[in-house]
Order: sequence, then structure tokens, then C-alpha cells
Amino acid sequence: MTDVEPDWQMVKSEVLSGALKRGAAVARVGDPDALAAIAAPGQAPVDLLPQVRSIIVLGGSAPRAGEWHSPRPEVMETVGTADRMAALGSAVARRIEDELGYYALNVPTATDQDDKPFLDFTAAAVISGAGSPSLAGPVLHPEHGFLYFTVILTSLPLPADEPLDAPACPAPSCVEMYDERGLTPCTDVCNIDDGGCLGGQIQEGLVIGRRYDSNRCRSRVYHYWIPGYQAVLDRVLSEPDAERRKMMLYGSYFTRTMWSITYSNVSQGQCFECMRVCPVGAEQRALR
Amino acid sequence: MGLDDEQAAVATDAIKQLALDSGATVVGIAAAGAFNEYVPEGHRPTDFLPGAQSVVVAGSLGPSNAAWQSPNRRLMEITGYDFRENVASLVVAEHIETAHGYQAIQAPALPTSGQHPPMSMMLAAVLSGLGTRSIAANIILNPTYGLLYYAAAITTMPLVPDHQLEDNVCPARSCVKMYEMEGKTPCMAVCPADEGGCIDATIEGGEISSSYFNRERCSTRAMNFGIRGHIKQVELLTAADDIEEAKAVLHSDDFRRNLAAIGRYKESVAQCFECMRVCPVGRYRRNLK
Repeated sequence: MTDVEPDWQMVKSEVLSGALKRGAAVARVGDPDALAAIAAPGQAPVDLLPQVRSIIVLGGSAPRAGEWHSPRPEVMETVGTADRMAALGSAVARRIEDELGYYALNVPTATDQDDKPFLDFTAAAVISGAGSPSLAGPVLHPEHGFLYFTVILTSLPLPADEPLDAPACPAPSCVEMYDERGLTPCTDVCNIDDGGCLGGQIQEGLVIGRRYDSNRCRSRVYHYWIPGYQAVLDRVLSEPDAERRKMMLYGSYFTRTMWSITYSNVSQGQCFECMRVCPVGAEQRALR
Repeated sequence: MGLDDEQAAVATDAIKQLALDSGATVVGIAAAGAFNEYVPEGHRPTDFLPGAQSVVVAGSLGPSNAAWQSPNRRLMEITGYDFRENVASLVVAEHIETAHGYQAIQAPALPTSGQHPPMSMMLAAVLSGLGTRSIAANIILNPTYGLLYYAAAITTMPLVPDHQLEDNVCPARSCVKMYEMEGKTPCMAVCPADEGGCIDATIEGGEISSSYFNRERCSTRAMNFGIRGHIKQVELLTAADDIEEAKAVLHSDDFRRNLAAIGRYKESVAQCFECMRVCPVGRYRRNLK
């Protein structure tokens, strides 16, 4: 008896629809060779899983409409939901291994040596068509806008999706604004020439010459969290006065930054301002 | 009114199925009183739940099969597991209280004093017939899956206990053969105590006759990142004479990695799997297409 070749399109459809049912907003498949061609040394899919034949990219778990509309920035600062995607990725990988008998590895969201990612999630999302790069930085899905992503490497030979035909950014309204003022909503709210993180130009409807101050952005997005913890200890080490050292250690800022580390799944980012003004996916954030 | 034998058997089967449906890979049941022979007062199920009758033990797989295949060993350092056995034990405890009206708690397993947990999940796994102790760091090996992670629910509900395994899972036949030829098993060879490693043992008549495990040395490797690594770095910070030296530690990627491991503990529960990587028990199950 010979093994009958499975209908891989059907297998793909079942795996992806299962992920969508469990909470993903977007589920796509990418070609590992396409990612390898643009990956940094050591970050090709095959460097993590030699048997890899497909990349599954799941996106979802963005802040809810109510959170975007809260007048208190503390809500968005402490309510991130990225870990839901990581948990979903683990569950999908487990299902592929247990039920289909193929290797499946949910790529860790934590960083490898030198604070580098194990895999470029942005590039994985782009080559699979789960979104496109944006002037603001995050990968944007044309319908949902900003999403968190998880990436599963698998030996399942699934048919790969193509990258998006047209980028989600810049949106037509952003092009219009740029033509009028030389700024888009995101470069306006966080202008790199005015102490912010973002800059760039739009030419014939395409982003060119993007400028991004990643260090400045990181210090805002991760204001509380590991960098905040290091910043306080750095000052404590340099402070000669014992009472002031105690004030820093027992102060609310240090306490809060410890909370954000131990509850990191609810504190993924503390600045969403460039995404708050982004028109891509804005209709998803507008409810009654 | 208590359950008769038939009712207890039906309830036991249903609770086991619930644990499996909730994410456990295996499930077994030990009688609460079975612990008394092996552990002192203060570590028995009745010490945590007076009137305890049964302990429902759930085991789940750790790293995925793909993670074992990765040539990047650092991936395994932070790809721990998803605590499904904890979820299963919590679901079981909640179900017993709401559906059967008996008390149930999740067994306390994290160390609260020294390295000893209040209640041993390793012993719970052995008593519920899910595995036996191995040469490799005393890890409990399940005959089908090898390395599993365990959690348990303690309950006042009388359930039908499982028997302990009749045969020791470790040493496997191939390990006995290797020991007879080379004087070591795969785990002893990969981490030999007399060469800076953690493991040593003797085998007689196909059974473990003595074993040695250097837990302190192992914990510095298996728990390199996380709470202990962070404590070590805080010690370095407080002991540094030179402020620049202290700041170099503070802003190193190792410091960040330790904190990330604390924050995302489930992604970084162990950082050395080498004795399990070479263990033949359950290894064939890690080979997929």
C-alpha cells in the first residue's frame, strides 16, 4: 500500500481556520526560502529548524476598541495582549505535532544573545502577506492595522501565500495629508525633528527615506520594563546619598517597573501614539 | 453519603478524561495516604488539605519535538513549556469542587524553603504510576514519553488509585548494554560527575544499584537564566568596587536576559536539557515527519 499524498491546500485551510477560530485575526503561510534570502546570518528559518518547509504567521490580539478610546493613557500602558498570540502559536504548534505528526516550532518571542531576535517576525509577516511595513514601524494589515504576531516553523509542506499586492501604508488619507503639510499622522505625532522617533517622505504614494530613532522609541515603548529597571539601578549605583538611594528603590517608578516585568504579558508596550493616529484599521477601533 | 465502588470508578475515569481534555499528556491517581511512607510530616497531602483522600497527577510534555531538533541550543534555553499540567490540575480541582462537592486544591510544588518543594511532584508521579526515578538528575521518566512536567490536585474525594509501575523505566535496555561495554550510560557520558558534570551511577543486574546527582552544579546550568542568575548579578553589582564595572554588568545583554527570563518564566524554565537529549526513553516519539 502506498501513502496517498494529502491535499496540502486542505491541510493548510484546516490549520489556519483552527487558528482563526482560536483568536487569530490573520493567518498566513510564508515560504522559508523567501525569508532566508533576506534574513540576517543565523536567523534563517533553517537555522532554527532544519526540517522547515513552511512558516505559519498568526496575527491578532491588538488592544481592544475600548482600550483605544480610554482617556487614561495608563490603560494602554499596562494592558498589552501580545502573549495571547504566543500562547496561540504554542497551541497550534502542539496540534500540528500531536495530530498531524510534523515538526512545529513556535519561535520564542524573547531575544537571543546580544538582544537579537531568533527570527525577524516583521520580515516573516511581510513575506507571508500578513501585512506590510509602515512608516510608523509596525507591520500593518490592510484591514486590521496594528497586530501582534507569532511565527511557527513547521515541516508541513503547505502552499505559501504571496506578499500583499499593495502596501497598507501609506493610506490615501496620509498621502493627502503629506501632500498638504509634509507630514503624516504618525510623523506628526512623534516627529523625529522635534524630539520624536519618526520621519520620512512619501513619493508617488510610496514611503521613501524612512527615518526612525529606535533607541528613543524603545525608551518610550518600554518606559516601564527591563530598560526602566536598569535605568533606576544605574542611578542608584551612581547616587552617593543613602537616603536618596532608598527613595529610588522604594519609589513608585521602580515598583511599577517591577510589576511590568513580572506581569509583562499585560505590559507589552507603553506608547501607542503613532498607532493611535494611524488610519489603517481605524474602523476596527471605532465601535458604539 | 460516600461513593460506592462503581460510582468512584466512573467518577475517576471522568476526572482523568477531563485532565486529558484540559491539556495533560498523561494522568494518574495516587492515594493520599501512600505519601506517608516516603515523606515526613509537613510534606504529605493531608498537611495541605485535612481529610485528603486522593491526589490527581497530571503530566505534560515540555519542549515541542521541533525544539529538540533545533541546532540552535539557545532556543531550548528559552523554549520551556506551556504549563498545561498546571492548567489541567486547576481544572480538575475546580471540577471536583463544583460538580462533586468535595474539597480540592492545587498541590503546592514551588520551593518555599531551600530547594525543597512543600509537596514533591516527583513522588506524586511515581505513586500514581506515571513514571520512575532515573539516573539523569533523578528526573521521573514516563515509559512512553520520557521527560514530562508534573502538577497535581489534592482532594477529599475518594477516587480509585493507580498502581505504581512494576518495572523501572530507567535504565533502558540500550543504556544497560552501553554501561556493560563502557561503564557509563548516555546521560552519565554527556554529564559525568567526575569530569565537572552532575551525574554518576552504577548498574547491577540491569537495575540502578547506586546513583549520584550533583544538584547544586546542575541547578547552576539548568537554571542559568532567571531568578538565580539575577540574584547572582545583583550580588556582583553590590560587591563591585568600580562603578563602571557595575554598570557594565547592569547594561549587559545577560542582565536583560535574566530579567526577561523572570518576566517570561514559562519561556525559560530550564536551560540545560543535555541528559534528556541523549535519553532513549520516549526518544522515538520525538521523531516526526
